[in-house]
Amino acid sequence: MKTLILGVGNPILTDDSVGICVANEIEKFSLPNVEVIETSLAGISLLDYVVEYERLIIIDSIKTEKEIPGTLYKLKLEDIGTSSATSYSHGMNIRTAIELGRKLGYKIPEIIEIYAIEIEDNTTFGEECTPAVKRKIPGIVDEITKIIKSDSAPS
Amino acid sequence: MAKRITIDPITRLEGHGKIEIFLNNKGNVEKAFLQVPELRGFEKFSEGRMAEEMPRITPKICGVCPTTHHMASGKALDDLFHVTPPSPAKKIRELINSAFMAEDHTLHFFFLGGPDFVVGPQAPAGERNILGVIQKVGLDAGKKVIDIRKRLRNIITKQGGRVIHPVCNLPGGVSKGVTKEDREEYIQTGKDAVEFSKFALKAFEDIVLKNKEYVDVIVGDIYKHSTYYMGLVDENNKVNFYDGDIRVVDPEGMEFAKFKSREYLNHIAEHVEPWSYIKFPFLKGVGWKGFVDGKDSGVYRVAPLARLNASDGMATPLAQVEYEKMYDILGGKPAHNTLAYHWARLVELLYAAERLLELAQDEEILDPNVRNIPTAVPDEGIGVVEAPRGTLYHHYKTDGNGVLTDVNLIVATVNNAASICMSIEKAAKGLIKEGKVSEGLLNMVEMAFRAYDPCLACATHSLPGHMPLEVSIRDHEANIIETIRRQ
Repeated sequence: MKTLILGVGNPILTDDSVGICVANEIEKFSLPNVEVIETSLAGISLLDYVVEYERLIIIDSIKTEKEIPGTLYKLKLEDIGTSSATSYSHGMNIRTAIELGRKLGYKIPEIIEIYAIEIEDNTTFGEECTPAVKRKIPGIVDEITKIIKSDSAPS
Repeated sequence: MAKRITIDPITRLEGHGKIEIFLNNKGNVEKAFLQVPELRGFEKFSEGRMAEEMPRITPKICGVCPTTHHMASGKALDDLFHVTPPSPAKKIRELINSAFMAEDHTLHFFFLGGPDFVVGPQAPAGERNILGVIQKVGLDAGKKVIDIRKRLRNIITKQGGRVIHPVCNLPGGVSKGVTKEDREEYIQTGKDAVEFSKFALKAFEDIVLKNKEYVDVIVGDIYKHSTYYMGLVDENNKVNFYDGDIRVVDPEGMEFAKFKSREYLNHIAEHVEPWSYIKFPFLKGVGWKGFVDGKDSGVYRVAPLARLNASDGMATPLAQVEYEKMYDILGGKPAHNTLAYHWARLVELLYAAERLLELAQDEEILDPNVRNIPTAVPDEGIGVVEAPRGTLYHHYKTDGNGVLTDVNLIVATVNNAASICMSIEKAAKGLIKEGKVSEGLLNMVEMAFRAYDPCLACATHSLPGHMPLEVSIRDHEANIIETIRRQ
């Protein structure tokens, strides 16, 4: 299955970069049929990347302040709020972008998975994640890689 | 009993902000302002680095306008190293910047600000988005928007050297020239962008200008502020996004100041309020008199309408026609109508497309002489460009080895910070009476904000995607007495 992994975040805003860090680590495994892109864009701009893939995996940070930093959530597109009622950067979230893409007849991945990592600090400039998030990265990389491999295995 | 209404987060914005509206004991608006999260430590992050890194670092501050940060930074490095780029390099930079301005203005009109008008300010929140716009203007129009944005971004990617964050600007020029093959593609994109801009203006005319109710809202008093205006102009005082002098006109449209980038600190100072992380820039020559309109107040505005107000016209023919038409309908210059920012943005979209085409058609763009190597000792450099959201200032100081010792940025939206607060307050006062608050009214308040296309703390990308818009009404002890939740 032609798969795209999107690592989303800002590379110089401490924990905001965690999605990119995790995606880059997964890229090192050179998984077959898997392409990895890091991006600081969101919403509509993501449409430019995702067309023509069968499966899309988004790895991003999240700040619920309800769980400890480094907690991994597996979300579905439906878990992301409806279009106008969100504050996603650049005004439109990925769900709306996907809905728009489908409506306009683009070939949008049928399988979309979102992995979100609870973070601590995304308002301080820095090129590294906070220690609490950083030490969870290897485990998160393993977990997501295993899921990708098992789902991709021929049945 | 004082009440506090919080609009948090503001929807369809660049980044995350919060509008606070305080009601008095009669339920009328006493005060309203904007709060944004603080991003900490950029100066510390930058100091001690080599100055040449800045064009690669500063675009990452913002996931929305990385290209203009790259341009301002490149120009600051030219100044810092005392080197002038060759003419082809300057044209290539302006070509990239024009593509970006066109792309970003398109995004705002169709995705962010447009839904208020195209779908309607009182339409249900769930429909006031791009899907609602597509419903109204048709699927083909939606495809046009996606297609032209993709092709404009392609110019930035090809010449910028990298997807999203360009890396082409170096002190004294750019890292690569334009190939013949790419130039043909850029010319075609430029032509199509001009046609697309005409289509967008036509859509605005058909949907907005032909609707008396909308026109009344645009020219209405609650969305009007009489302020100073700032923008870059060329030698003929025409709007320029990449280069020129900074011109300021007063609320009557008379030239108040015209200065070079290096003189900006003689003209701009920053006011601090205890309740905000944002510093509020104002005109030194007038002085800070508070969040008030008029000739005696140093509050100035930037971005599309301000740029048009601060200029004597557009440097390209089709945009000039639209410029004149806009002022005819708005009743002359300067126009103080905040919602006319949307219209001015479309006039600028056409200008950006025409300028892109002019530059792509210019033979000189193929000249491989795209860099002058700097030889002077670096010390201090200032670069100013027009970002989609207003005038952007980059100011660096280094030691003799080019290691940064001091960094100061005035990002585009910050110039508008005071007027954004004023616009929110005026709209809130005009619309919220005796505690009567409906979602439609709140959207009308937010419209004052969205017209500026503000970009605040937009560097963060964490997922708050499932967070609905919540409006909390609080009593004087901050207890929530009512919550309005948007679906």
